[in-house]
Amino acid sequence: MNANPYRLPGLLLIALFVLCFGLAAHLDLWFQAWQGNRSQSANPMGVLLGDSRRMFANHFFVKADAYFHSGYYPSVFDNREAFRTPHMAEDTGTVGGHNQGDELGFLGPPRDWIDAFSRQFFPSIHTHLDEGGARGKAAPSGDLGESSGVREILPWLRLSAELDPNSVQTYTVTAYWLRQRMGKVAEAEQFLREGLRENPGSYEILYELGRIFAENHNDPARACNLWELALRNWQKLESAKSDPDKFLLMQIVSHLATLEEKQGNYRQALVYMQLWKEHSPEPARIQQRIEELRQKLQPPSVGKAEPRLKAGT
Amino acid sequence: MKQTNLAESAEPVIEIRDLCVTYRGRGRGQSDRLAVNNLKLTVQRGEVFGFLGPNGAGKTTTMNVLLGFVNSSSGEAFMFGANVREPIARQRIGYLPELTYYYKFLTAEELLRFYARIFGIPRPEAERRIDAVLKLVELETVRKRPIKTYSKGMQQRVGLAQALINDPDLLVLDEPTSGLDPIGRMKVREIIQRLKNEGKTVFFSSHELGEVETVCDRVAILHQGQLKVEGRVADLARQHQCNLEQLFLKVIGYN
Amino acid sequence: MKNILAVSGIVIKELYRRKDFYVLFILTVLLCLVMASVNIFNDKNIIRYLKEICLLLVWIASLVIAITTTARQIPAERENRTLFPLLAKPLTRSQLLLGKFLGCWLACGLALLCFYLFFGLLASSREHYWPLVNYFQAAALHWVMLGVVIALTLFGSLVFTAPSSNATICFVVVGGILLLGRHLNKVALPLPEPRRSLLYSLYYAIPHFELFDVRDLIIHNWPPIAWRVCGLASLYALAYTAVFLIAACMIFRRRALN
Repeated sequence: MNANPYRLPGLLLIALFVLCFGLAAHLDLWFQAWQGNRSQSANPMGVLLGDSRRMFANHFFVKADAYFHSGYYPSVFDNREAFRTPHMAEDTGTVGGHNQGDELGFLGPPRDWIDAFSRQFFPSIHTHLDEGGARGKAAPSGDLGESSGVREILPWLRLSAELDPNSVQTYTVTAYWLRQRMGKVAEAEQFLREGLRENPGSYEILYELGRIFAENHNDPARACNLWELALRNWQKLESAKSDPDKFLLMQIVSHLATLEEKQGNYRQALVYMQLWKEHSPEPARIQQRIEELRQKLQPPSVGKAEPRLKAGT
Repeated sequence: MKQTNLAESAEPVIEIRDLCVTYRGRGRGQSDRLAVNNLKLTVQRGEVFGFLGPNGAGKTTTMNVLLGFVNSSSGEAFMFGANVREPIARQRIGYLPELTYYYKFLTAEELLRFYARIFGIPRPEAERRIDAVLKLVELETVRKRPIKTYSKGMQQRVGLAQALINDPDLLVLDEPTSGLDPIGRMKVREIIQRLKNEGKTVFFSSHELGEVETVCDRVAILHQGQLKVEGRVADLARQHQCNLEQLFLKVIGYN
Repeated sequence: MKNILAVSGIVIKELYRRKDFYVLFILTVLLCLVMASVNIFNDKNIIRYLKEICLLLVWIASLVIAITTTARQIPAERENRTLFPLLAKPLTRSQLLLGKFLGCWLACGLALLCFYLFFGLLASSREHYWPLVNYFQAAALHWVMLGVVIALTLFGSLVFTAPSSNATICFVVVGGILLLGRHLNKVALPLPEPRRSLLYSLYYAIPHFELFDVRDLIIHNWPPIAWRVCGLASLYALAYTAVFLIAACMIFRRRALN
């Protein structure tokens, strides 16, 4: 009986195929459990880019800062200590700053003649767009309609938000520039609402929305509601953390305290000021304001509303 | 003036002295190949000279040396008294390669104008010559069409036109009738005859021994890089008591 | 000189009769117009992102045109056998090479003119002013840089057999220098010897293409560069162009064509 020479290799091939198939089936389940099923995303960018879209989103957020500096920006090879928090975000007051070192001279002195010569061919002077940019023509202070330079950062912020809708600071930073420097209140509000849809309950966005109603729409009641909701959400999300975001907390309670004081709700204002003082780096200053407010409370008048929120709740 | 003319007419148009060309082996184990071995040749003014040999005999290599495409390993070659390494040696020649390819995006007219400019022919004279050569090769009606639209025969005729644009005193033709139909071959023979009548020199290689016998004054037969036979066609036929084809086969050892 | 100009004329004719330039130009225009139509917070005056995208496309297109056009010049002549009837004329190989260089460079210059004209129109449609000096400097420096790239590619076409491999290597080298050339010295400094010296030698040896990339100055409306500085940069480019061309001529003169 002649043995078939192809029998053994054929069987081996089949065995390997079965092994590979089984291994793939087993590993896929494990991978799904670890990574999640990306195909469930409705966002084509999310499906295409996957988690790398966050990397791109961050890149474009930083690019907006590069535009804010009219191109004068450290590369990955330069000292970026002074640019850890993008300046265009830090200037808005919506994010805390972590910058150290000299922002004016990250390039340092020229290392050689090529380095010295090349500085003529790219931006090598530190400027901010809202202070005139490259040509030095600053917008008149308070003239919101003439901030022609700052608009240039908006496309990159928009793109960053598209790529990573879960990055809350993109919405708050953009809303600030739209509202404060460009006078585009409606656009800022719409953008923040988009952000709120993507990030339900985000206290940062609620706070910014509250500012729009307080400062632009002159609707203190709605502003107050939004800030109170922001405060509640902050307490729900942050208070249990070992390192909570105190920067935003102080922003929220300080605005609430100021608003309540303006409305004449001094007791409520006092509650917020106490909360503010607890987390403020300048408690003495806050205490002074508390004393002033307490004086306004004397003598106690009939019919004042009881504080709605107690400190620490 | 007369003396200069006499001197000019006495000087050979092509002079090859002890020419050797060696191609270096490219890979490991490949030895150097001697393509042309001590070739001595002269071509006089007004001659039609046939350069014959089987494939790999060294004909194209010799032509490449004359045209400056390849440097000789030893020996020298001259055209009109100028060393072939100098570009001036090519001022009075026309060259028709075996495979005729030209810039496909150009028209025949543009191609001839380009070559005329390289020869330094003034514009009015160049236009006149372009008209003349296009008429000669019967491409007048298609002169403004891109060469990529031409048939093979038309491309061959463009080649002939560019070889004649500078009214050359020496025409170097590499297998001029290769790929042509009988009418095309006849036209080429007519052109060669006409040039001869005008006192031009024609140096060409061919496998068509019948044609060579008809048009050539002198022939040389090359085999394995060496010159085997050289002389007038009639004299060789008388000397060896056979026609050119038989002589060719005898020389290359196929009989 | 007439021979060089004659050969260059053929190269220019080839460029505008091929489709490459038109495809790239139309692609650039379409992409820019699509980008311009995007509504960004109802602000029709935002322009810098558009300038950046347009200039990026211009740079990519110009490098593609320069490198692909140049990379195929000599190999195509050899492959199509058009080189032989050409060199059978009273034309030296150096003249041929210089003619090819000049033709590619002038052709790229014409292409750049079209691209920068479009860029100027696009920018002025929103900025409503024409910083002609800035645009001229940017275009001139760009063109001068392309001269170095073309000379490099021409040299590469004599070293590498296939046009595709030459083009790929040139793209990688040029792209690498544009992105990293400025930073090599920073990378070199903390390294131990001999790597530090090697990298620093490389830093000094390479042509610094990034000197000619003044897009950031144009995008962000910086004042023009001093003319003296532009002149020095042009001389720098001329020196590298000459080096590559001389090397190419030396190789080509010794090359057997058969």
